[in-house]
Amino acid sequence: MSIFEYNGSALVAMVGKNCFAIGSDRRLGVQLQTIATDFQRIFQIHDHLFIGLSGLGTDAQTLYQRLVFRHKLYQLREERDMKPETFANLVSAILYEKRFGPYFCQPVIAGLGDDNKPFICTMDSIGAKELAKDFVVAGTASESLYGACESMYKPDMEPEELFETVSQALQASLDRDCLSGWGGHVYLV
Amino acid sequence: MGPVLLKVELTGPYASSFTEHCHWETRLEGGRTPTSRLFKGGSSPDSNMKLDTSGLESTAQVFGTSNVVFDGLQMTPSFELPNATDFDGFQKDAIQMVKPAKGTTTLAFIFKHGVMVAADSRASMGGYISSQSVKKIIEINPYMLGTMAGGAADCQFWHRNLGIKCRLHELANKRRISVTGASKLLANILYNYRGMGLSVGTMIAGWDETGPGLYYVDSEGGRLKGTRFSVGSGSPYAYGVLDNGYRYDMSVEEASELARRAIYHATFRDGASGGVVSVYHVGPDGWKKLTGDDVGDLHFQYYPVVPATVVEQEMGEVGGA
Repeated sequence: MSIFEYNGSALVAMVGKNCFAIGSDRRLGVQLQTIATDFQRIFQIHDHLFIGLSGLGTDAQTLYQRLVFRHKLYQLREERDMKPETFANLVSAILYEKRFGPYFCQPVIAGLGDDNKPFICTMDSIGAKELAKDFVVAGTASESLYGACESMYKPDMEPEELFETVSQALQASLDRDCLSGWGGHVYLV
Repeated sequence: MGPVLLKVELTGPYASSFTEHCHWETRLEGGRTPTSRLFKGGSSPDSNMKLDTSGLESTAQVFGTSNVVFDGLQMTPSFELPNATDFDGFQKDAIQMVKPAKGTTTLAFIFKHGVMVAADSRASMGGYISSQSVKKIIEINPYMLGTMAGGAADCQFWHRNLGIKCRLHELANKRRISVTGASKLLANILYNYRGMGLSVGTMIAGWDETGPGLYYVDSEGGRLKGTRFSVGSGSPYAYGVLDNGYRYDMSVEEASELARRAIYHATFRDGASGGVVSVYHVGPDGWKKLTGDDVGDLHFQYYPVVPATVVEQEMGEVGGA
């Protein structure tokens, strides 16, 4: 199993009507052995910006601490919160700094920009951004998640419907993956 | 040195896949270049190289007189060599390709009232769950059960084959085969295919004239008699619970609860086990399926979620004040 499949993870973010939902699984394992069933993968940066980090658990935690540090500095200097697009650029730059010894993480960023326009994007482990208008997925269950989201997604969903859709897609995909599972966290903004 | 004729006769269950192109280069000792290529890419079965191992007759007698039933299995064990320059590497690759990780949890134990057999139902291919509803307890005949761990196809085929042989034994000897005999039959068959990439880790549980019997048989050719076994990637976790709660004189309900709990705990910790826990009991009248519970439901049954009491405001002690 590769290093990305060492801890096991599943992340999904989906866009709705002036809202977004981001969900993750809760399992932390060491290859096949389950260590914890309440591991946090989605972190809040500010009121309208969340980042989920799939892949190696330790890199996810360290990377999150680094990003929070950079964002707090930004807040002190600019006296406002970062826009999601700007934050995505920041994450991409930080990941590419470690081009030849990367963080083994695949981030999923979801936020509300100007006029409450939802923004989602994902990246590979060295910072290649992939913007999407509908949904993004990451983790060991990503192939199942692509399938589930593709079939369940509809444009411009209301918050309640979006929550249901993300939860169902997440659960269905987790049922097909040995390395992720044990419930999910879904944040709806 | 004149031309050297090599007769190599190989047959067996993999014969058809090796029957295609087969060429053989003879190398003379002393590092001389190959001097003969006996045939090129023959597509007809007749032109295959066959390795005659009739000289090594140690295991040939196992097949006995019942050859007529088994097509392709001959008295003389022999096998066709595959068309590859690196034969040893090819064999290793073939084994790796066929060998799925033994991602499963099965257990069986003997107690006062017979044998209790339990298994999960998840089939995994690496990280992907291919099925959550696999029958891992195979009914060989009405008084004998086999468990499946390792390659599903291998286990299903060879257990069915064992069932055939047991029935033939019954007809030939006018009495049922013992668990000892059945497990020995299977172990001998698997020993013949040792090193060819079969992956079987099975337990044969049954009730015969001497009482309850339990044997562990695997594809390396091992066969062990015992009272408690667990096989698969989740077996360490199951052993923990099983060894702790085991007593010889348990009732059938207690034993089935122990088996179920052990498998549940294994499915919790092991990512390659899950699905549904099936528990079977083998008694003097044969086997009977007791329960089949989804592990998700069992989780909330054993560890119910207590809604957290919401505390509005809490006054804590202020140190030193």
